[in-house]
Amino acid sequence: MAAECTVTFVREAQHEAALLSGIIDIQAESSFEAVMNRVSGSTVVFDFSNVSRINSMGIALILRCFKRLSSERKCVVQVRGLSQINSMLFKMSGIFMLAQEVR
Amino acid sequence: MLTHEKHGPATMVFAGTSDNASPGLDGLFPDSLDTVERLVTCSADKSALIEELTVQIGMHDEAHALLGQKAALMLDEMLENALYAAPRSGDGSPLFPERKPRILQEGESILLRYRFDGTQLVLEVRDSWGTLTQSRVFSYLAVNTSEEEPDPERAGRGLFFMWRLFDQFYVRIYPGRETVVGGSLLLTSDR
Repeated sequence: MAAECTVTFVREAQHEAALLSGIIDIQAESSFEAVMNRVSGSTVVFDFSNVSRINSMGIALILRCFKRLSSERKCVVQVRGLSQINSMLFKMSGIFMLAQEVR
Repeated sequence: MLTHEKHGPATMVFAGTSDNASPGLDGLFPDSLDTVERLVTCSADKSALIEELTVQIGMHDEAHALLGQKAALMLDEMLENALYAAPRSGDGSPLFPERKPRILQEGESILLRYRFDGTQLVLEVRDSWGTLTQSRVFSYLAVNTSEEEPDPERAGRGLFFMWRLFDQFYVRIYPGRETVVGGSLLLTSDR
């Protein structure tokens, strides 16, 4: 699995999806800026299936991004593809207060 | 130079059960000849050290895979703290707030120690700054335990993750001299 965080956008049936891969840490800042600039719909799904590790700096980036999308753009944010450890981190850091997990 | 008055006393914070911890003379890391020690020289060492550690644990089954993921995250956080949170100027401000790649300064040291016996991983990182304080450890844990809506800018999230994920966790601070952060992860854990 690649180390650098990358994001690919796809259009799915009812929403946009951001497919993330690699490690989400401070180096991923530009990827999340790209996400912010790209999202235009009312619902966006973030897919973490190919994310290997998220550290605390990465969690801060995700929180910042999700907060802006939900509060400023009134966008519904959903997440999927979380590994066991990443699901634990999301729960610990309160990300599920901002984004609903979908299968 | 940090002063005792400003930064508090030497501190040891320990969380977990003491059944498997043998304090010895040098902290909570069990004494063993097969402990691996690695000196960190630059931030670029981080990914190779994480890779080395996860290879040691292996991917034999789900339990090993989860232990490897936890270990990778814990080491990531510990090294980030030692590389970027620990180095501070006399007034307490971080020396490397941008978190750009860096080489250790002359006189600065970061030592990683680990041991995996097949069922338990013990992991420890020491930095030569000793800038973490007792009050900051407890305030980081308290603020991140809050049930309020999450704040992206909240400090100490990495330390909070360590406290939550390690089966045993300790922080030992010699102000202005050394900070030691360590803990153990069990192969089969309920955390």
